[in-house]
Amino acid sequence: MENLILIFISTVLINNLVLTYFLGICPFLGVSGKLESSFGMGMAVTFVMTLATSISWLIYHFVLLPWNMVFLQYVIFILVIASLVQIVEMFIRKFSSPLYQSLGIYLPLITTNCSILGVAIFMVTRNYHFAEAVVFGFSGGLGFALVLLIMAGIRQELEYADVPGVFKGAALTLIIAGLLSLIFMGFSGLVSS
Amino acid sequence: MKEILKTIAVLTFTCLLCAFFLAFVHSIAKEKIELNEKAKIENAIMKLAPSTREIEQIEHEGQLVYKLFDSQEALIGYAFIAQGQGYQGTIKILTVIDSSLKILEGFEIIDSVETPGLGARITEDTFCNQFKRLAVSPKIVYTKEKVKEKNEIQAITGATVSSKAVVNILNTGIEILRNRLNQ
Amino acid sequence: MMKDFLKGLWSQHPIFRQLLGMCPTLAVTTSAENGIYMGLAVIFVLVFSSLVVALIKKFIPHQVRIAVYTVIIATFVTIVHIFLKAQYPDVSMALGPYVPLIIVNCIILGRCEAFASKHSVSTTLYDALGMGVGFTWGLFILGSIREFFGSGTVLGVAVLGSAYNPLVVMILPAGAFLVLGFLVAIMNGLERWKI
Repeated sequence: MENLILIFISTVLINNLVLTYFLGICPFLGVSGKLESSFGMGMAVTFVMTLATSISWLIYHFVLLPWNMVFLQYVIFILVIASLVQIVEMFIRKFSSPLYQSLGIYLPLITTNCSILGVAIFMVTRNYHFAEAVVFGFSGGLGFALVLLIMAGIRQELEYADVPGVFKGAALTLIIAGLLSLIFMGFSGLVSS
Repeated sequence: MKEILKTIAVLTFTCLLCAFFLAFVHSIAKEKIELNEKAKIENAIMKLAPSTREIEQIEHEGQLVYKLFDSQEALIGYAFIAQGQGYQGTIKILTVIDSSLKILEGFEIIDSVETPGLGARITEDTFCNQFKRLAVSPKIVYTKEKVKEKNEIQAITGATVSSKAVVNILNTGIEILRNRLNQ
Repeated sequence: MMKDFLKGLWSQHPIFRQLLGMCPTLAVTTSAENGIYMGLAVIFVLVFSSLVVALIKKFIPHQVRIAVYTVIIATFVTIVHIFLKAQYPDVSMALGPYVPLIIVNCIILGRCEAFASKHSVSTTLYDALGMGVGFTWGLFILGSIREFFGSGTVLGVAVLGSAYNPLVVMILPAGAFLVLGFLVAIMNGLERWKI
């Protein structure tokens, strides 16, 4: 149990996927302009990531390992993620059309959101148990959503700021991300053995 | 209906083709990869205990321990891979210890994902060399001050957590080995 | 032909103009050397997957094209991964999880979807090579800057001497964001003054 809490805190705050492993930067730069769409994107990623990590873990340990097919892991993982994204897309389209419209082209792009495949790969290299993998997937998504929301909040305020022309857009977002990453480094003393 | 069948057929066919292709590439490279990993361990052992002439592998409850012999075929020490949690992820350390299990010959970090520039400095010589011929009985102790005792090492400034992790992993690994060999 | 190659080097540069493939761009550029290795791996995967997509585009049903492209890309990435582990274990260790993560590098899927699936094989080859080389020089520049300030070395050779106190933040994640942010701003400036 203590282990799971440790994984949760460390994945959300200390080793945040976006700010220390650079996973999921593309949607981070793209969607983080608006609070509302950031929230939707964050939730979609958390949902897909938790499911994808759990299913990948089961496939890895019950199919790939016993049958000596570990070299196929990346192909299998990406297929799992792609099919999950399809399902989530159909689900959102049916139940929340404003959310579907605001996320627009970004939903299919979750497939190429490196954070989801990244979490699946980390879960294998770190030898997580099933429960650890599920918590890892969930907290990874939550950490992503958190940073996305912080970023969207900052960017909304910045719309009224007088920024030098060359820094407008991606350049400024990257620099803010750098500062956020520095701030998050402050969490690193939070967990110590 | 025909559309759906075609879609499924194309997808299945692509996946199968890719899987076979990968299986082929994997079968060619497999031996080479295993050899690389073995060579990496052997090179590290030779570097830390240069008088080693022969390495014997024994398995202890699923974990490999290497027995090291010199040219007179006398046992000079043991090597094993200790692993544990670092600052950012698992650290794997190849540890070489003398036959009395009291003096560390040294270690080499085989795998770690510590932060470059900070935690990753545990792989640098200035840190690693402190562990050569270090007394490990009763256990290794780290300090932030100047080293006084024979079993003390100085932690890296700015990477205390990673330094501490290395010391803990080594201590636990050595403890496990002692218990196993005493049985 | 030449135009298809050159646009990836400057006017449609994948990193500075299109902001694609950010994850490896930021992660592996702690040194110029790592940047080049990652660039070469991406060129390999980009060229071969684009070529395969351009060759078989007529046979792929529209609804599953993305899935098929992804499987093809994942196959080539796994080949690179196996090759590095067998021939260059040190490189494989330095790049770590970012080699398998090439699968989700948006440049590759982006080029397959936006270019290779609509153009002939030869045009695709030039486009893929241009984008790949453009990506590589971007990584090299970013890696060089971070390595120079963060470790005081250029391509692993110490140039600033031992008196230089390395600016460690440059090789930390935060430094990656900051350097790339300023590079993008500089590129915007160059564009504005039409250089």
